[in-house]
Amino acid sequence: MAYLYTLAVQILATAEPVPISEGGEGGGGLRLLLPVPEELIAGLIAFGIVFAVVWKFGIPALNETLDARAAAIKADLDAAEQAKQEAESLLDDYRAQLAGAREEAARIVEEAREAAEEVRADILSRAEAEAEAIRGRAREEIAAERERVAAELKQQVADLAIEIAGKLVAESLDVERQRQLVDRYIEELGGVR
Amino acid sequence: MEQLILASGECDLTQQTVCAPADVTELFEYRIPVFEILGFPITRTVFLMFLAAAIVAAITFFGLRRKAVVPGRFQAAVEALFGFVRDEVAIGIIGPHGIRYYPYLLAIFLFVLVGNFFEITPFVNFPITSRMALPASLAALTWVIFIAAGIKRQGVRYVADILWPPGVPVFLRPLVGAIEFVSTFLVRPFSLAVRLFANLVAGHVMLTLLLTTGLVSLTTIGEIGALKGAFGIAWWALGLAIFLFEVVVIVLQAYIFTLLSAVYIETSVNPAH
Repeated sequence: MAYLYTLAVQILATAEPVPISEGGEGGGGLRLLLPVPEELIAGLIAFGIVFAVVWKFGIPALNETLDARAAAIKADLDAAEQAKQEAESLLDDYRAQLAGAREEAARIVEEAREAAEEVRADILSRAEAEAEAIRGRAREEIAAERERVAAELKQQVADLAIEIAGKLVAESLDVERQRQLVDRYIEELGGVR
Repeated sequence: MEQLILASGECDLTQQTVCAPADVTELFEYRIPVFEILGFPITRTVFLMFLAAAIVAAITFFGLRRKAVVPGRFQAAVEALFGFVRDEVAIGIIGPHGIRYYPYLLAIFLFVLVGNFFEITPFVNFPITSRMALPASLAALTWVIFIAAGIKRQGVRYVADILWPPGVPVFLRPLVGAIEFVSTFLVRPFSLAVRLFANLVAGHVMLTLLLTTGLVSLTTIGEIGALKGAFGIAWWALGLAIFLFEVVVIVLQAYIFTLLSAVYIETSVNPAH
């Protein structure tokens, strides 16, 4: 490497121009138009090297890279397409599940409402029945009480009447006879009411 | 440094305005071999030609060896360079068939580009494409290729149609045929070679004269006086401006050489024009 470097420096520093053409026929710039043998040969060899490198290595390597890149891009696109489809099917699944869940929820709510309605109706009817029963019982009790009170009253009124009548008539009628009379009177009173 | 460019010892700015060599070939001919390989002289120019080939090979190798699917900067740049010649020149000019000529056009483009760039490469400062050997041999290769392509594609008709062009009034055919023949087979390779050669010669001459004169006048300003020294600085500044301008010339001439090679091949393989 060091040798090559020294060599390169040595060559680059060799700037000594060739002596102006011998014999002075020189023609100056026109002579530049004529290729020099060693440069012609070197130029063709150097171009051959460039051509070989470009043709045998550069272009195949680049094509390989470009093919790999195209394949990678295609694979990426395919993967993206697949992922998209997967996502779409997943979304559909979720949508279906969501719809199912909504339906289910609605059904549950409906069921709950129906159950609640049933319970309400049940409670209501039971309450009504109970109330009716209570009312019935109360009515019966009231009726019985009235009956009892009426009977008692009747008794007391009869007793009172007899007592008063007895006092008024003063022993004119016997007790049994008076009772019958009073009873009839009360019956008549009941009919009037 | 001066001796690298020119025998500036001969330059006497008290007598001259610009340091010019007695013969312009002094700026181009380096024919004293530094050493020989099997009798073949390795001169500075010969060495630079192989150096250019080595640089192209290195750029190709290091640029494309990794084959990364996601390229780094350097790989992307080399790929862009290759892709440019393939898409814009080979396929863009010649058409789908152009892919066959892509390796040749690419090799020409890269080799001429690096050879041109030696014009402004520090410590080299010498475009190998300013030596007629290179443009001439590459133009000759293009010449052989476009003639071979024409004959392969059209057979004898390729030459016949040039010598006796159809679609031209019969009495004009000999004249047009002769002009076409000279233009296609003689002028084309010559103009192709000379265009590249002359551009690089001109650039090298301008840069050498202006920068050398500037350098010499700056170092000898005490002897030549302030006025001439100012001239020298002006030359030097102009030289630097042209230095930048030459970057354009370098790239453009490499492109034009490749492009015209493609155009010539195209006229051979697509006779419809």
